[in-house]
Amino acid sequence: MPRTTSGTRLLFRWIGNGLLLVMLVWTLVPFYWMMATSLKADQEIYGFEATLVPHHPTLAAYVRLFQQTPFMKYVRNSTIIAVSTTAVSLVFGCLGAYALARLRFRGRRLIARGLVFTYLVPPSLLFIPLFAMMSALSLVDTHQGLILAYLGFTVPFCTWLLMGYFRSVPLELEEAALVDGCTRLGALIRVVLPMSLPALAVVAFFSFTQAWNEFLYANVFVNSVEVRTITTGLTLFIVEDVFFWGPMMGAAFLSALPPLVVYLVFQRWVVKGLTLGAVKG
Amino acid sequence: MTSGLDPAVLYPDERAVPTPVLRARRRLSLTRRHEARLAYALLLPALLVILGLVAYPFVSAVYLSLQNKPVGAPGRFVGLANYAELFRDEVFFQTVRNTIVYTAVGVSLKFVLGLTMALILDQERRFNNVFRMLLFVPWAVPVVIAALNWRWIFDDLSGFLNNFLITVGLTRDIISWLADPRLAMGCVIAVVVWQGTPFYTMTFLAGLQAIPRELYEAAEIDGASVVRQFVHITVPRLRTIFLTTVMLSTIWTATNLQFVLILTRGGPANRTEIFPHLAYVTALGARRLGMGAAVSLAFFPLLVILIILLTRRMLSQTDD
Amino acid sequence: MTKANMTRRQALKTAVAVGLATTGPWWLVRGSHGARAKKLVFWQLPNFTPLADQLQKEQVYEFAKSAGLKESEVEYATVSNEGFAEKLAAALEAGNPPDVARLYESNVQFYAAQGHLLDVTDLVDKMRREPKGIFDSSLTAVRYSGRAYGVPLAVNPWPVHARVDLLEQHKLDYPKTWDEFIETCMKIQSPPRLFGFGMCLGLVEDTTDNVMNLLWCYGGKMVEADNKTVVMNSPENAAGVKVIEAMFRTRKIIPQGAIGWDNSGNNKAYQSRQAAFVMNPTSIYAYLNQSDQDLQKRTGLFPVPAGPKGTVNLIDTWAFGAFKQNPYPELARGLISYFMQPANYDKIIQSTGGRWVPVYKRLFDSPFWKSKPEFKHFVSMAETGVPVSYAGSPTPAAGEVLNTHIIPKMIQRVLVDNWEPPRALEECHRRIDEVYARNRKV
Repeated sequence: MPRTTSGTRLLFRWIGNGLLLVMLVWTLVPFYWMMATSLKADQEIYGFEATLVPHHPTLAAYVRLFQQTPFMKYVRNSTIIAVSTTAVSLVFGCLGAYALARLRFRGRRLIARGLVFTYLVPPSLLFIPLFAMMSALSLVDTHQGLILAYLGFTVPFCTWLLMGYFRSVPLELEEAALVDGCTRLGALIRVVLPMSLPALAVVAFFSFTQAWNEFLYANVFVNSVEVRTITTGLTLFIVEDVFFWGPMMGAAFLSALPPLVVYLVFQRWVVKGLTLGAVKG
Repeated sequence: MTSGLDPAVLYPDERAVPTPVLRARRRLSLTRRHEARLAYALLLPALLVILGLVAYPFVSAVYLSLQNKPVGAPGRFVGLANYAELFRDEVFFQTVRNTIVYTAVGVSLKFVLGLTMALILDQERRFNNVFRMLLFVPWAVPVVIAALNWRWIFDDLSGFLNNFLITVGLTRDIISWLADPRLAMGCVIAVVVWQGTPFYTMTFLAGLQAIPRELYEAAEIDGASVVRQFVHITVPRLRTIFLTTVMLSTIWTATNLQFVLILTRGGPANRTEIFPHLAYVTALGARRLGMGAAVSLAFFPLLVILIILLTRRMLSQTDD
Repeated sequence: MTKANMTRRQALKTAVAVGLATTGPWWLVRGSHGARAKKLVFWQLPNFTPLADQLQKEQVYEFAKSAGLKESEVEYATVSNEGFAEKLAAALEAGNPPDVARLYESNVQFYAAQGHLLDVTDLVDKMRREPKGIFDSSLTAVRYSGRAYGVPLAVNPWPVHARVDLLEQHKLDYPKTWDEFIETCMKIQSPPRLFGFGMCLGLVEDTTDNVMNLLWCYGGKMVEADNKTVVMNSPENAAGVKVIEAMFRTRKIIPQGAIGWDNSGNNKAYQSRQAAFVMNPTSIYAYLNQSDQDLQKRTGLFPVPAGPKGTVNLIDTWAFGAFKQNPYPELARGLISYFMQPANYDKIIQSTGGRWVPVYKRLFDSPFWKSKPEFKHFVSMAETGVPVSYAGSPTPAAGEVLNTHIIPKMIQRVLVDNWEPPRALEECHRRIDEVYARNRKV
């Protein structure tokens, strides 16, 4: 944030902090509610006093979660699928984004817009023909099938978002590298990517969480427990008109932790990488 | 060595052009074609994925909308009959209105909140990275769970919100958040905003972080106020990111049925009925896939126009 | 992808690859129906208690063994209710549905009409030959064109779950008529903490069930027994709708928020002791059995109060269906037969703690049912109960009406948009008529 006179600066600071606090409360209350529910006994969950702090906190929901469902298997599957989806999306996205951002060629606008048009037909309609294809390719009940399906969703937005960020990398730096004898791809790897680390992080996190939290395809394309993801496992706690809130919220809470932890850890690296890049550039 | 950068842009002043660049310029006409081939090569993986996985279902969805096709039975071509039936239904027009309002308000709120939060998080502060992680929470939770959770918070009898308000004394009666025709849409939008703001916050923040501090410092020295700095430094640099985020988010918001499906199912009395939900009820509830596809596609023209408008500036090569 | 200089040959290769990629899926889908390694595919919907799930799984594998199948040839997939419709739709479209799955009411007729289900009349006949046989009401749910395409698994009445402790407290009996019911509710309720009637009014299936149940007591119905003549705009229906309007608007015995409830709304209301009466299948009762025995002791299960035209009770039915696109139909039929052997069947029924009501009349004589006074009305309710499509039988059209919430929308026209009941019923009539007409053409 730019430096200003200390009076204005202090004012902005305090407004900023205040708004941040409000936003944090608004964002986290539902999450806290989820966690609190997972620690309550069934009767307290249904009591008409929505208690903020569980009266008799209990781990029964978690016990039930781990004993009655193969939760760790779900976690393993979700991890494999999410990590693979992210890795492949990043690579495809970077390559495509660089082409769209820096190169000129016929069909550039068409391809760029075409990538976005793929979102017009939502998964809630696409899933049937997609399943028919997966079925014919014997990709049902496999990790690969689900990863491929997710790529159809993550690659366009990775490409577009990265295109936006690549364009904001100053041309001069790339130019300098090229004049020094670098190839275009080398310029991409050595100049553009390091400058776009925050963007890569964002795009990676979003791809990861999309794949981690997706429900429709995971439900339709997978039958066996061996490949089932957390999200599908979660909905098994809804039996017709009865919701087993305790274990469901417990599983949801646990499921939200990996993305958050990964985000927290990578944040540091991203910032470090960025400051290094700035010094070099 | 290939160089596809346009020296005319980099060096508008003819006199300052260095020799290596002059040499590069001479090869300009040849390098254009190489540039195109490189571009296609780089885009190939993405295109293969899209064409292979999305194009076929996409086209089949369009063809589906022209058929009378129940689930599990063969389809019968009926031309535009589905669309005709749709336009005759009075619920259709209410659905159009609802979808536009829902999308416009949702996206606007997300934009404002996201930008505000990004600016705030860009300030120096202890534990900033923890705050960033915490604001990311809504995206870390599956949409189904977030929606169920909020539905419960809004519950009239045993919901957290009512209980809180009554305990604190702000109201004496139960408020039927999701059942009151005046409040239902607002509540749905609130949940959409809660869930979608992190996308804006994080993408804007990444953009902000890439702006070198020196630019602001230089402007500071020149005597520019904070607002002027924001308008003349921050906004131009973020413009592409603004447009991209808004474009993607608009499409996603307009085609997302999860929130309406879990919170209100289009009620009360069609107040929150939006296209994707109507398509879902038609395709899977009534099991009329052809009609469901038609409902989904009926909203396309608006979205396509929006995409073309938003991407026009973004895709023009001559500005930066 | 390294060098930028692509030769013409490389470009051509790329073009061919792209062309194949786009059109490839077309050929593949057209060509195959997905080869199957499994000989028996069973989709299990959660049976409400983990014990029931476990027992059912064991039964599947027991049968498979007895039929000479290896474990690897059996696929046992647990599918949640959320997303079952999507999964089955996708599977049917792709040409590989499961061999056996549990289907709800008119879904049997829907898939039978398209020729997807195996004729299982002989299996049902075998069940009828058991001592005391099965409830006739369960047969309407599985019949299509005079043959049975599903095997009824459970007949579920929708009793009124009532807080008998509150009735005692106010020295009241369970109301015999709807008028008495309203009076009783007004006496025992104390809003906003406690409401009398937790009637579901949201855009969900429960609403259609609750509303129609009440309309029947006033002589109204949706369609005649010929399954063609829609009679939604009758004066009897209008009378019933006016009663609901009074309950909601003037007498205020229904919480205003019921307009926004989903299928679990009335469950929640009762379980959190905020509604004294709800109309629901015994999922609430079974839940209380598991998790809130205190409330269970205070709960009674009663038939619906009577209107001017008497009492009519709702039942809904689950059935096992066997899909035709199955290379081993005998295995599918054998599995269903195995499930329905009374000994196996009874084990599962009892393990659901009262959620499933048995199809075999004889099983009601067992101590499990006899020992519970709250179930004393159940036999008569199961005998005389009618499906939600009364006076018609379950048909694809009835299923579409239920799934697209036409009747809940009618009620919301009255309660939210303030339409006069006849006007709302007129619109409802028109829409239901359209649905029935369209389904006739097919």
